[in-house]
Amino acid sequence: MSAPSALARRAFRDARTRTIAFGYLFAAYAYIQPVGYRHAYPTLSDRLAFAHSFASNDALRLFYGYPYSPLTVSGYSAWRVGGTLAILAAVFGLLAAVRALRSEEDTGRMELILAGAVGRRTMYLSAMSAITAGTLILWLAESVGFIAGGLSAGGSAYLALASVSVVPVYVGVGALASQLAPTRRIALELGSAVVGLSLLLRVIADTSSGAGWLRWATPLGWTEELRPFTGAHPVVLLLPAVASVLLLVLAARIAAGRDIGTGVLPARDSAPPRLRLLSSPTAQALRTERGSLIAWTSSVAAFAFILGMVSTSVSSAGISKSVQREIAKLGSVSIETPAGYLAFVFIFFILAVSLFACAQIAAARHEEADEQLETLLSQPVSRHGWLGGRLLLATFATGALSLTAGLLTWAGAASQGVSISLPRMLEAGANCLPVSLLFGGVAALAYAIVPRASAGIAYGLVTVTFLWQLTGSVLGAPKWLVNLTPFAHVGLVPAQHFRAEAAVIMLGIAVSSALAATWIFQRRDLTGP
Amino acid sequence: MKPAIRTEGLCKHYGDTVALDRLDLTVNEGEVYGYLGPNGSGKTTTIRLLLGLHRPSGGRAELFGVDAWSEPVAAHRRVAYVAGEPFLWPALTSAETFEFLARLHGGTDVSYRDGLVERFQLDTSRKIRALSKGNRQKVQLIAALATRAELLLLDEPTSGLDPLMEMAFRDCVKEAKERGQTVFLSSHILSEVEALCDRVGILREGKLVDEGTLQELRHLSVQTVEVTFMGRAPNLSPLEGVQVQSAGPNALRFEVSGSVGPLIAALAGVGGNSIKTLSSREPSLEEIFLHHYDGSEDRVRA
Repeated sequence: MSAPSALARRAFRDARTRTIAFGYLFAAYAYIQPVGYRHAYPTLSDRLAFAHSFASNDALRLFYGYPYSPLTVSGYSAWRVGGTLAILAAVFGLLAAVRALRSEEDTGRMELILAGAVGRRTMYLSAMSAITAGTLILWLAESVGFIAGGLSAGGSAYLALASVSVVPVYVGVGALASQLAPTRRIALELGSAVVGLSLLLRVIADTSSGAGWLRWATPLGWTEELRPFTGAHPVVLLLPAVASVLLLVLAARIAAGRDIGTGVLPARDSAPPRLRLLSSPTAQALRTERGSLIAWTSSVAAFAFILGMVSTSVSSAGISKSVQREIAKLGSVSIETPAGYLAFVFIFFILAVSLFACAQIAAARHEEADEQLETLLSQPVSRHGWLGGRLLLATFATGALSLTAGLLTWAGAASQGVSISLPRMLEAGANCLPVSLLFGGVAALAYAIVPRASAGIAYGLVTVTFLWQLTGSVLGAPKWLVNLTPFAHVGLVPAQHFRAEAAVIMLGIAVSSALAATWIFQRRDLTGP
Repeated sequence: MKPAIRTEGLCKHYGDTVALDRLDLTVNEGEVYGYLGPNGSGKTTTIRLLLGLHRPSGGRAELFGVDAWSEPVAAHRRVAYVAGEPFLWPALTSAETFEFLARLHGGTDVSYRDGLVERFQLDTSRKIRALSKGNRQKVQLIAALATRAELLLLDEPTSGLDPLMEMAFRDCVKEAKERGQTVFLSSHILSEVEALCDRVGILREGKLVDEGTLQELRHLSVQTVEVTFMGRAPNLSPLEGVQVQSAGPNALRFEVSGSVGPLIAALAGVGGNSIKTLSSREPSLEEIFLHHYDGSEDRVRA
């Protein structure tokens, strides 16, 4: 086997778990939407009512993008799937590039390979061909999902191409970030900032009248401009093609000219000692996680403020009772009032805060995988003290993030003159806590039992249960099956009452999982990478 | 007085692999104990069990009479550990790392630490991620030595150090011994162990195959006697525990296990007058070690 193909195979194998997980997700999501739509809106009048009330609602375009033709199964699918999967495709591209380039360099493996008879160009091209193979798998998976859901083969392939066309652009972003940043972590943060900014631009373009041109400024908007099933504009594909080539060539040029093991951005290697936050393992963890905590909080704050502002534009046009029921099933209450709309968007904050809680547990696992935990626990530091401190930190950070969401949503709404009370919005924020702590607790349990697989299990569980919440009832699944997801048991504050009983049960599970996790962690070997 | 380290039938299995097999080990207070073995023989596993980082599959380990697995915190107050691979926090500088570890451990001798920084020539304002492996190893070593802990657990502590720093390390261990600290030194650098240790244990595939002072190990091991004769070398009748090789036309080399008495008597019997030179050499630790490891199973005295 030649060196380039051996390298490409290695890179592809490294990414196989991620590729398979994303592939399943793309296929399942693509299948569910057309099937669910047919089930929920069988007649034209149903669909007209739906289009009138739901799809023309400014505020909903935030999440699903602009609906060009919500009256047909294919148009609806293009609207619901394209926007969401494009975001996931962006995340996939970013992770793939940073993992294949910056992580390899961080761990020193790239140095080892380049010390052999392999040039930088070969290394780079091998990584890219492995990512290309992964992207093709996503494209196939999504196409198969649509075709299985009853859409035409050609249209399915084009619609899947529209969402997957985002991948190479963010591979380019990830590749460039890998050249600029001196560490994997900073590369991921830079890349995430670009994904967040792209999403923000699309949100503004889709929701503010007169800002539609902004869609052209973000790769996530290009997907919409490809207009699958609604008068396709394949020429728009030139945009992602040109953008990714530019980014990848630029990254390759930088990669060819710099020292291995460094980044273009200077890493500060010396510093006068700062002795704050060194008094305990928990304090030190806070010190290490500070950057990512700030990034999470400011992103949530920005989105919360914008969503609050947009809530004023919710239409109060008459909506038929049957359609209201369907909307309620989609995970919400009546969205015709600002309060109803805010209650609906908080589902997404609950999702974000849950992912954050899992990320905190993943950070603890990271400390073990990097074997710094071995250094800590060879000091007079107890295992339950360390894990307990980590869990407490995660809980406080999750609480702070939740309240930030509530506070900033209120501030955004209040800035547009929407009358909604601050305590009620803080309650909506706090309402994120039971579900996210439940996931955090389960993540901790997974961490204690199967440390190496724990991050995948935790993120997977959150994603799957959330998608099930959005699609289960639309598909007509029996109630008990829909109720399996914790998201189904949330009282949507501020439109509904806080459901104390469900919250107590979820917190109970969270606390007992955390205790069980501590007990099990006390009894196992430390586990390396 | 409780021994600093005591293990009883200590076992560790990882799946089907036996990493450590019924280890009985006692290291008394004030002793410098050398723990020898090649890569993968179970040295690091032993230390992980002594620190309660991994759970014993059988038997028990105690530090100063405190169970290593069930009461790690109490045990660790009296212990400082240097890992074979320095796993520190990349974003902290050395000075910050010292501060952090000192606050976790307590009882750090700051002026001694400053002296060590000087001796090991470490720039403490550099972040860990910018340090070479040898320099990161110094950070660990300094932090551990500065605690003046009663027991130093050192797992291949000089890997990555240059020869000058290795000498500085040896001086530090000698000082620690003079102060009465106990040192458990796991290593595969034989000269280091030979120079520092009172007692040596040799580990092979998870089993302790030999243990004792250097003198005892030498006594038990093979010594080499070379004899040159005036004329042709005589034929000697076979002796138990002695192997004969020709070492030139007029010379013989004897590999002697145990006492050399019978060989001397035999040589005197064939005519002591014809002997021109006789030299005898004690085995180096390296030879003792290789004796256990030259692959042939039957030569190992378990």
